[in-house]
Amino acid sequence: MTKPLEVEGLGYDLPGRGKGERRKSRSLVRDVSFSVGAGETLVLLGRSGSGKTTTLKLINRLLEPTSGEVRVAGERAADLPVTRLRRRIGYVIQEVGLFPHFTVERNVGLVPRLEAWPPARIAARVRELLALVGLDPDTFAGRYPHELSGGQRQRVGVARALAADPPLLLLDEPFGALDPITRVELQREFAALEGRLGKGMVFVTHDVREGLLLGSRIGLMLQGRLAFLGTPDEFRRSDHPEVKAFMAAA
Amino acid sequence: MSPNPLSPSPLRCAQGRLFGRGGTPGRSRWSLGLVALLLTGCAQRDRIVVGSKNFTESDLLGEIVAQQIARRTGLPVERRFHLGGTFVCHQAITSGQIDLYVEYTGTAYTAVLKHAPVADRDSVDRTVARDYAQRFALVWGKPFGFNNTFAITVRRRDATRYGLTRISDLTRVAPRWKAGFGYEFLERADGFRGLASVYGLRFASPPTAMDLGLTYRALAEGKVDVIAGNSTDGQIQALDLVVLEDDRHYFPPYEAAPVIRQAAITRHPGVAAALDQLAGRISDAEMRRLNALADVEHRDIATIARDWLRASLP
Amino acid sequence: MRLWEFYARNSQEVLGLVGQHLYLVAISTGAAIVIGVPLGVLLTRRPAWRGPVLGMANVFQTVPSLALFGFLIPLPFIGGIGARTAIVALVLYALLPIVRNTYEGVAGVDPAVREAGRGMGMTDWQLLTQVELPLGFGVILAGVRVATVVSVGTATIAAAIGAGGLGVYIFRGVAVVDDTLILAGALPAALMALAADGLLGVAARRFAWRGK
Repeated sequence: MTKPLEVEGLGYDLPGRGKGERRKSRSLVRDVSFSVGAGETLVLLGRSGSGKTTTLKLINRLLEPTSGEVRVAGERAADLPVTRLRRRIGYVIQEVGLFPHFTVERNVGLVPRLEAWPPARIAARVRELLALVGLDPDTFAGRYPHELSGGQRQRVGVARALAADPPLLLLDEPFGALDPITRVELQREFAALEGRLGKGMVFVTHDVREGLLLGSRIGLMLQGRLAFLGTPDEFRRSDHPEVKAFMAAA
Repeated sequence: MSPNPLSPSPLRCAQGRLFGRGGTPGRSRWSLGLVALLLTGCAQRDRIVVGSKNFTESDLLGEIVAQQIARRTGLPVERRFHLGGTFVCHQAITSGQIDLYVEYTGTAYTAVLKHAPVADRDSVDRTVARDYAQRFALVWGKPFGFNNTFAITVRRRDATRYGLTRISDLTRVAPRWKAGFGYEFLERADGFRGLASVYGLRFASPPTAMDLGLTYRALAEGKVDVIAGNSTDGQIQALDLVVLEDDRHYFPPYEAAPVIRQAAITRHPGVAAALDQLAGRISDAEMRRLNALADVEHRDIATIARDWLRASLP
Repeated sequence: MRLWEFYARNSQEVLGLVGQHLYLVAISTGAAIVIGVPLGVLLTRRPAWRGPVLGMANVFQTVPSLALFGFLIPLPFIGGIGARTAIVALVLYALLPIVRNTYEGVAGVDPAVREAGRGMGMTDWQLLTQVELPLGFGVILAGVRVATVVSVGTATIAAAIGAGGLGVYIFRGVAVVDDTLILAGALPAALMALAADGLLGVAARRFAWRGK
C-alpha cells in the first residue's frame, strides 16, 4: 500500500536580491525528506522561521518547490493539476478560515460539493463529521461561523478538512489561536481521533508538549533543514542541542 | 435678484464711511478692509461696466464698445462678458450690475417687452426706445448698421436636393426631418413656437435642445436637419450652409445697438458721444467677416476689436 | 403652486424627460458595472496594474463634466452631439467608484478565508464567484450607489450637448431666467438621486457581511 505522503529532498529557494554575482538565493527549506504512513502523525516542530509552515505549503503547492519531489498516495504532486491535488489533502489552518456567508453545513460540505457529490450523500457525511468532532449536527449544522466560539470553529475546520475523506491531512498550528483550556480540550480529542481515522497527518506546531502528545514521530526543523526525525521517546533522549533547547522549554 | 451690494447708491456709501469710525483695535483691520471694499463700490460710479451675451458676436460688439469708450473718454471700463442669454443680461442691467450691453431691437421687442412680433422696423424702434426708457430707465444708442435676424439654416446639399430657398419650403420636408435649437430660441415667444405656427411646420419629433453653439456642428454632422442660427454667424459659409428666406416676414428686425442705463449716461455724457461714433459703421457683411475671424480663424477677440477700431475710426 | 400647474400642463413632456434621464443613467451605470467590476477583480489579480488603472479612472472623475463632454465631442466614433456621447462620459465618470470599490470589496476578504479556500482546492474562478464576490458584494454595491447618484447629477449637464433628460428644463429655465422651469428640472433630478441613494443604501447594508 502506498504511503499517504512521501517527501524527498524538498527545497524552496527564494530568488535572491541584488545583481550579478551577488544574486544569491535564500533557502527557506533545504533537502527535507520524510514519509508519513496511514494512521501516522508527523509533527513538524521548530522555532518561528525554521521553515515548518513553508514545508507544509510545499506539500499542497500553495508554494511551488524549487527542488525535490512530493508524492501523495503514490502520485507525484507536481504531475497532478493543483486543484485536484489539494482536494485530496485536508487543510486546517490556525485562523480556521471558515466562509462567513456559509452555514456550518455548507462549510463542511465544501469539497464534496466541489466534487459534485449527490446532495444526500453530502448531508449524511456532514452529519457524520460534525458528530465526530463533537458538535451536535441538529444544533450546529444551520449556524453561521460568527455564532460559534473559537473552539467550535476549529472543530468545524477539522470536519471540513475530513469531508472528502482525503488520505492526507495538513494542519498548521490549528490550536494556536485558542485559549489554553480549549486548546487542551481539543488536543485530547484530537489525540483520540488520530488513531481511528487511519490517515496520514502532518502537524505543524512550535509547542513541544503538543508535539509530544500528538505525534507518532517528531521532525525538528532548524534553519530550513530537518535537524531531527524520530519517535517522541527518541526525541526526549536525543543529545542534539536544538532538541535539548526545546525539551528544556517543555 | 437682490441688488448688487456694491452698487453706487448714496446711502450705502454713507454707511461705508460710517462703519469706518470706532471699533476695538482687534477689529480695526477687519473694518478697514470693509471700508476699502465699500469705497471701491462707491468708486464704481467712476467706471463703466460692459456686459455681453453668451455668443461670439455679442462678445465682439461688447469688446468694441468697451475699447471705444476707453479710448474716447479715458474712463476705466470693466468687462463682464459671456454672462448668459438675453434675460440674464436684462436682469443684470436693470439691477445695476452692468451699465451697458449690446441688445437687438427685435429681441427687446418680443422677448423682453413680450409684444407679438411685427416686421415693421420703425414701429419696433419707437416702441423699444419708449418702453425701455419708461419702464427700465434704459436708453437705446444708435444701431451699428446691421440686422442679425434668426437664420433658419439647412445643409447646402439638402437645399439643392429638395429645392429649399424659403422657410415655407420647409413644410414639405419637415415631417421627415429633425430640428435642433438652442434653449433660448425654444423658449422665446418670437422663437420656435411662433415660427412653427406661422409657417405650419410640423416635425417628426420635438426639436432637440442643445447649447446654441453646438447646433452648427450638429447640422453639419447630420445629427439634425435644420437649425436656427444667426444671420451674421461666421460659420454659415465655412460649413457650406444655406439660410432660408423669411418669406412670411415672421421675424422682426434685429438691429444691434447699445443699451445703457440712464444713470450712467447722466453721469458720463462723454460715453454717449463715444457710442454715437459707432453708429452705422458695421454692415451685415462686415459683421459676418468679424464673426468669421473669431469663430472660424479663432483669432483673439480683443485683437479683432482693436484692429477694427483702428481701421474704421482712426 | 406654479410648479404643480406646470407639471399638470406638461405631464407628457415631463414624463418623457424623466424617461430620457433614467435611460441615460441606467445605460451608463450598467455599462460601467459591466466594465468596472471585471476590471476591479483584475486589479486584485494583477497588483501592478492597480496604480495606473485607478489613476486613470481618477483622472476622468477629476475632469469637470462639461469639459469632459467637450473633449469627447470632436472624437470620431464615440463623439458628436447627443445621447451616445453623454453616455460615454457618464460611463467614464462612474468607473472610479465601481472599480475601486470592487477592488476593495474583493481584496478586503479575510486572507485566512482565501487561504483556506485555495488550500482546499477551489479554482480561482470558484473562489471568485463563491467566496470573494459574495463577500465583497456589499462594498461593490456601495460603489454602484455612488456611481448612480453621481450619474443622475451629471446627466443633467448632458442636455447641453443635446442628450435630453431633465437638464433640458434647467437649461431652458436658465436661458430665460424662469425659476419654475429650473425647478421643474432640478426637483425630479434631486428626488431621483435621493431615491437611488436610499434604495441602494438599503441593499448595500443588507449584503454587508460581518468578518469573522
